[in-house]
Parts: sequence; structure tokens; C-alpha cells
Amino acid sequence: MTTLTGIGSTPLSGVGIARWYRPEADLTLPAHPNPSEVDADAELSRFEAARDDAREAIRQARDRTAERVGEDEAAVFDAHEGFLDDPELVGDIEAAIEDGTVAEHAVNDRFAAAVEQFEALDGRMAERADDLRDVRDRLLRALLNVDGLSDLGDLPDGTVVVAERLTPSDTAELDPDAVAGIATAAGGRTAHAAIIARSLSIPAVVGIGESLHQVTDGDDLLVDGSDGRVVIDPDPAERAAAEADETAAITEHVATTDGRPVEVAANVGSEAELAPAADRGADGIGLFRTEFLFLDREAPPSEDEQYDAVTAALSAFPDDRVVVRTLDVGGDKQVPYLDLPSETNPFLGRRGIRLSLDEHRDLFEMQLRALLRAAAHEHGDGLAVMFPLVSRLEEVDAALEAVESAAADLAAAGVDHAVPELGAMVETPAAVFLADHLAARLDFLSIGTNDLTQYVMAADRENDGVAAYHDPLHPAVLRAIDRTASAAAETDAWVGMCGEMAGDPALTELLVGLGLDELSMSAVTVPAVKSRVREVDTVAARALAEEALACETRAAVRDVLDIDAA
Amino acid sequence: MERTVTVVPEAGLHARPASKLVQTANRFDADVSIGRADDGDDGLVRADSMLAVSGLNVSNGESVRVVAEGTDAEAALDAVCELLTSPVDNGESE
Repeated sequence: MTTLTGIGSTPLSGVGIARWYRPEADLTLPAHPNPSEVDADAELSRFEAARDDAREAIRQARDRTAERVGEDEAAVFDAHEGFLDDPELVGDIEAAIEDGTVAEHAVNDRFAAAVEQFEALDGRMAERADDLRDVRDRLLRALLNVDGLSDLGDLPDGTVVVAERLTPSDTAELDPDAVAGIATAAGGRTAHAAIIARSLSIPAVVGIGESLHQVTDGDDLLVDGSDGRVVIDPDPAERAAAEADETAAITEHVATTDGRPVEVAANVGSEAELAPAADRGADGIGLFRTEFLFLDREAPPSEDEQYDAVTAALSAFPDDRVVVRTLDVGGDKQVPYLDLPSETNPFLGRRGIRLSLDEHRDLFEMQLRALLRAAAHEHGDGLAVMFPLVSRLEEVDAALEAVESAAADLAAAGVDHAVPELGAMVETPAAVFLADHLAARLDFLSIGTNDLTQYVMAADRENDGVAAYHDPLHPAVLRAIDRTASAAAETDAWVGMCGEMAGDPALTELLVGLGLDELSMSAVTVPAVKSRVREVDTVAARALAEEALACETRAAVRDVLDIDAA
Repeated sequence: MERTVTVVPEAGLHARPASKLVQTANRFDADVSIGRADDGDDGLVRADSMLAVSGLNVSNGESVRVVAEGTDAEAALDAVCELLTSPVDNGESE
């Protein structure tokens, strides 16, 4: 058994038979002929025909991706078409052909220069170099009459695709039912190929580097996308753990071995994510981000549009709760028509409820009207509404008054409405310290661990220099979670968690032990967490939580939880 | 004729906004070029080239200068600047 490490890209595990994909091996270029023997006109026609073939293939990939994955992911192929028809690239390649270079070499040389130029720039641009390679390979395949992609779409069941790198086209070609995992030497989490793999729910570890070459065709391979590991010849215990991860959706509600129910819900940021979340067996939505309704447009959505979006979510989960977060913009989230201030320290500036109670009061009131109307909709009794970035009780009181006044306005106008469950997000240390008062005033609290960790540890989420601080397993963050959950336990309010931490099955026992009633996460991790909840005993979980809370360091916490040091 | 605008799309001049810009520049007879406002004439590249536009590596919030020359220069400038200053991603529609 050999373990290789990389970057976990799709947080799922799979076991299968390794198969190297080496598209470049098929693309051996012919020797350079003597320039005087090159028929430039014939080569120009070949290049033109190859571009036509590639354009056709790119459009097919675009349509297939739009249908199977989504319009956003398909957009990368528009960029590919842009590169294919780029006047600089095409002009330079045609000029090289006229100077006596055969089409294959002209294409290869010019794209090599472009790839080099992009890779010399920062990370994001280096990822775009994959797009250039993708277009180059399509052209070379057409010129060399190699049908390279067809076999990726027709792999035997249980194949783990191993490759130096996968292009977005390669990834979109994969059949998620047949492919057990992806392991690549190159690539990052935000590369288009990685995003497409996540959307297809294919376990993936990328950026493994040179060590991936220890894998040979036919090896048993485990891809653990949660921990960023690839295991060659995994032992039975490893295999069993990975296979448990492949658990099919558990549609019913789950409880611990001693019968304590834990809601396992999904975080959803667009209407397109509703059906996949339901398919994965989510018990409703623990965080419905309303920002998608406001982004990428020139004016705010109407009250009716917001009502429609919320009732669509309620209809997708007729028997479960849907927790809607009111508009959470400001700071780093730009919405041009809202005219947000430019601040030197946006994470400590005007964002969330601060804007909603002040300069965006009108938007807040409109949103509340839409929500109160939705609460009177067919499945409206499942609606819950929470306010982001609360740090003062005055904010909660003002928000509750705004809800009352929206209800009074609707009543006066004779419009059907109801008041949903109301809650606050606990993301600031201030909210942690005030959790007892918050829980007394509200129906629920939801801990947003990404921001809470950032604020408790005073460490910017986006700053790699303080990445080690940005871990919710620091004792200070665990104590903040414990304090919040304990305060809620003294009242009738329930307490949930939405944030990356909630979706890590390795932490489920700890979170149950800390007293969380609800865990909300990316839909893809719902089955694994549900299956884990069923194995947890609340008494043992509480003992584990006590032990973790007593730890002095993050390393000690990881040790208690039996998690390898990051 | 030219104009200087601040780039609004969140992705900057990458991915979809870049392909939209290139498609738009291609629709006009005018020669359209684009560059960082601070880089002067040397920083201008042709706006109808995906390679050149994405190679600029321009992020959201940066100031860019758009220059158009030719019969429909004004219309080309309008269309390109509209794209650069609009948060809307038109998706399928042109």
C-alpha cells in the first residue's frame, strides 16, 4: 500500500482500476520535411479543415456539457472557440505554413509559445493554459486523424482515470457512472476540469505531481477526494471506508444509534442546485443564499421574482425546512447597482445585516415581504429566515420589528402571509458572546464556520499566509461553537451549522457531541454525513467533544479526532 | 476615438467576459484595441483576439482604455464599453 498526496478536488472517495490516459502519446508529430517540399496551399487547406473539425467538436462538447452539467460550466467552450479562431494565432500559423512549415508543426509551435506565455503569469492564467492545450490537441488530432477522445466516454465500469492533466473537454466526456475517480499530476481545485468533475460528482484528486508515475495500468487505486489522497493497492480497511463514502443517497431522516435526530441539509446557491440536493437525500436546505438573485444583473429582483425563487425551494423540499438567508452582500461581494462603498477593510466593514438595516433598508423590506408571502404558500410552514453577520442585539430587535411591520403592511393590503421561523447566523465573536440573548429572542441559530473561524482567529480567509490559522479545529473556534450550542440548549431554539466544517464526515461525531441539531453542507457530502450520523452514539460523541474542548492546541485536537496533521 | 472604463464583471477579462468581448469586437469593421489605462499605447492589444485579451490578465476593478478606429468606431466603442461596465452576463443571448 502506497499513499500519494495531492489536492482533494471533489470531496468523494472511489476505488477502481487505474488506467493511464495519455492523449499526447497519440499525437507524435511527423518529422520536419524540407521546406521546399512543402505544398503550402495544401497545408493551408488541411489547417482550415482541421479548424472546421475542431470547431464542430467544441460545439458538441459545449452542448453536451450544457445539458449534463450546466450553462456556466459550458461557457469555457466559448473561450475555446475564441482561441480556435484567434486572429493572432491563426495569422501566425498561416504565416509559418507559407514559410514552408507543415500544419502540425506550425500549430504545435505557435500554441507552445502561447502556453508558455500564459504559464509565466499567475495561477489563474496558468489554468487557462489548459484551455490552450485543449484546443491545440483538438487541432493536432484532426490533422493526424487520431480519434483521441472517443475512448474516454466509453471506459469500463470502475475505472480510475490517471493522467498528467485532464482538459475540460476530456472531463466533460467522462461517464460519471463508469468512472470511479480521477487522479492527475497537474491541476488545481479551481481549474475548469476540476469544477466539471465536481459537478459530475466524480471523486478527484489533482496536483499530485511526479509521484503519480508510481501508478501503473491495472493497479487497484483508491481516490480520496476529501483528504486529497490516492492509495495504490489499498488495504481492506481503506477500501471499506471509501466504499462507505460512496453510499447512495439516504432519503429518510437519520438519527444517532441512541435515537437523537440530526438534520442533514444542503447549502444551495441557485435554483439549479435544488433538484441535485433533493436527489442526494438532503433534509431540506440549511442555507439558501439569496445573493444569486441579485448578482449578474442591472437592477434588484422584484418582490415577485424573489417570492417565486423561495416557493420553488419550498416545493423542492415539501416535507423539510428551507432556511433562507437574507441578502448578504458587501465586503468582498460586489453588486454594482447597489453602489457599495469601497472599504480598506471590507470584512470588518458594511456587510450583511448592517446594510440591510441601513442603506439597503428598502431591499430588505421587499425581501421580507416576499418571504412572508412565501410562508403562506403551500409548503410555507417549512420556511425559516435568518439574518447574516449579526453582532448586536439592537440589530436583531430592528430586524424583528421590520418583520412585524412587513406583516402589518401585508395584512392591511389583504395579502396572504405568515411569519416564518426566524434566526440569526453566528459568525462573529460578538454573536457567540451574546448567543444566550439571541437564542432567547429567536427560533434558531446557525453557525457559519467559515466566517466565524476568520473572525475568531483574526485570519483572512483569502490570505494563504495565514492558512494555518483558518482551521475550525483550533481550540478557540471549538469553544466558540460549544458556547453557542450550549446557550441555545438552555432555550427552545435549535442550533445548526452551515459551513465547510459541517460537511466533513470526519467531524460529524464531534459536531453531534457539541450539540448541533442540524448540519448543512454542499449537497455532494450529504450521503456520507448521513451515513456517519447513524454510527454515532451521543454519549461517546459528547465525551469526544469534551476531550477536544480540553485540548490546548490544534495539533492536540487533530490527535484526539485521529485526523492527520494538515 | 477612445474611452477609459473600469472593469465590472467579477471574473475580470477572463473566461466568459473575455470571449464575449472578443465576439463583440469581431462584429465591427472598426479596429478595436484594449489595454490597461496606465500602460499607454504600448500596452494596447487587439480586442478581437482571445489570446491577446486574456493575456492582459485584467481583473475586476481595473481601469482599461479602449481605442476604436474605423467607420463604425463609435458603435464598437459603445458595445465594448457596455460589456466592460455591465455586471450582466448575457448567457445565451447576444
